[in-house]
Amino acid sequence: MATAQRPVAPTTHRGVQPLRAGQGNSFLLRKLHSLSGIVPIGAFLIEHLISNFEALKGPAAYAAQVKFLNGLPFVRVLEWVFIFIPLAYHALYGVYIWARGKSNVIYYPWSGNWMYMMQRWTGLIAFAYIVQHVWRQRFSGVNLPEHPGAAFHKVQMELSHPWMLAVYAIAMIATCWHFSYGVWLFAAKWGITPGDKARRRFGFVCAALGVLLTVIGLASLYAFVGPMYKNAPADLSPAQIEQGSMAPAPAGAQVPASN
Amino acid sequence: MAERTVKIEIKRQSSPDSSPHWDKFELPHRPGMNVISAMMEIAANPYTADGKETTPIAYDSNCLEEICGSCAMLINGKARMACTALVDKLDQPIKLEPLSKFPLVRDLSVDRSVLFENLKAVKAWVPIDGTYDLGPGERIFPQVQEERYPLSRCISCCCCMEVCPQFNESTGFVGAATIAQAQLFNEHPAGKVLKEERLHALMGDGGIQECGYAQNCVQACPKQLPLTKAISDVGRDVMVQAVKDAFTR
Repeated sequence: MATAQRPVAPTTHRGVQPLRAGQGNSFLLRKLHSLSGIVPIGAFLIEHLISNFEALKGPAAYAAQVKFLNGLPFVRVLEWVFIFIPLAYHALYGVYIWARGKSNVIYYPWSGNWMYMMQRWTGLIAFAYIVQHVWRQRFSGVNLPEHPGAAFHKVQMELSHPWMLAVYAIAMIATCWHFSYGVWLFAAKWGITPGDKARRRFGFVCAALGVLLTVIGLASLYAFVGPMYKNAPADLSPAQIEQGSMAPAPAGAQVPASN
Repeated sequence: MAERTVKIEIKRQSSPDSSPHWDKFELPHRPGMNVISAMMEIAANPYTADGKETTPIAYDSNCLEEICGSCAMLINGKARMACTALVDKLDQPIKLEPLSKFPLVRDLSVDRSVLFENLKAVKAWVPIDGTYDLGPGERIFPQVQEERYPLSRCISCCCCMEVCPQFNESTGFVGAATIAQAQLFNEHPAGKVLKEERLHALMGDGGIQECGYAQNCVQACPKQLPLTKAISDVGRDVMVQAVKDAFTR
């Protein structure tokens, strides 16, 4: 018996594929990316910026802060588990997210779309900066965990190059931007701020947070390049660190008027 | 005085695999005309502006009053409905292109079946087959109705997906429309029986996690659906479900 051949449906898939319900683990990976940006990375960023702010009190206070952090119990474990590993994950998965998004801000120049693009660019800037920052300040040169007294000098030497200072300033703004908009995105996507008004209000909160963190960060940079602590000593003895901000100003520095 | 005319340029493509080209058309201006009525005239009288005969243009349209969702296309580069695009409010020449993220059928007509597949994947329906009498349904409070009604206005035009930077072939993102419909049926007293299944579907690859919250969807939606709110609400429900699953499954 002859049977009519059914036309064979084209097998090549065109266009965007439909939802793969129940398949893959991108949900877990993406949510881990999102969460890791807040804790521990965001929490660490705030800690780092606050610690940097100690530099405004001088090399000894800055060294004391470095010494305190490196004196935490299990500090190397803390460093890897709560900083390096989450940071590497967030950065690499972030690059993956960036590579798959197709920004169309040229055709649709709306504010949310601009922020979508900025979140990707600030993330990439932060990633590139952090790689060199971690390498140059943590894993090469003077080993700061063993020589906390050398911290101020090491950073000061780094920032003495004008282009490096520019890199730090740009990266500071980009990182604070990325974090504060990331907090806003977190609240929006995890359903904490579903309403338009709630999202708008929280937008102001996050903008204020971003500005505050940027100001704190840039002020700390100024401590290293400003006139207050010029030519900080290459290392401080434990006794000098103990004396903290009461220590005599390093040779060659102008004594702040308030002292 | 010269007769007032309307200049329209249309991106033509005779089949999914042929290469595109642009045809220019010019037709007399009539008060209140919109892109659809202009395209009807062009299709009925397929002569280009320089008088050459061409094939009638192909496009999707049906209701002509922004209810059916068929006539979405790129008008001067932006995704919108042709029926509510008034010619007098557009810069000329008016450039018409098919939606860029959906497989092309011919000229301005594209295959938007991915949305239908997505709606099926999240079971965007109330599971009542009508084989026997279930008795009266549960009362829906006005407060719930007020939340649901805006979501029910979706016309499946796919504008929200076209404008989304995350809706593309590498992510396979489900898009805002499907997430909003999942919310619509999750809030229905009989439809909520499938809520868990919908939330699980939206955890799959291409699910709600791919949203980058660029918020283009809510800007482009011709029916003003609260799409960003729906994504936020469903995002929370999916997350709560995922945590529940982690501890109880």
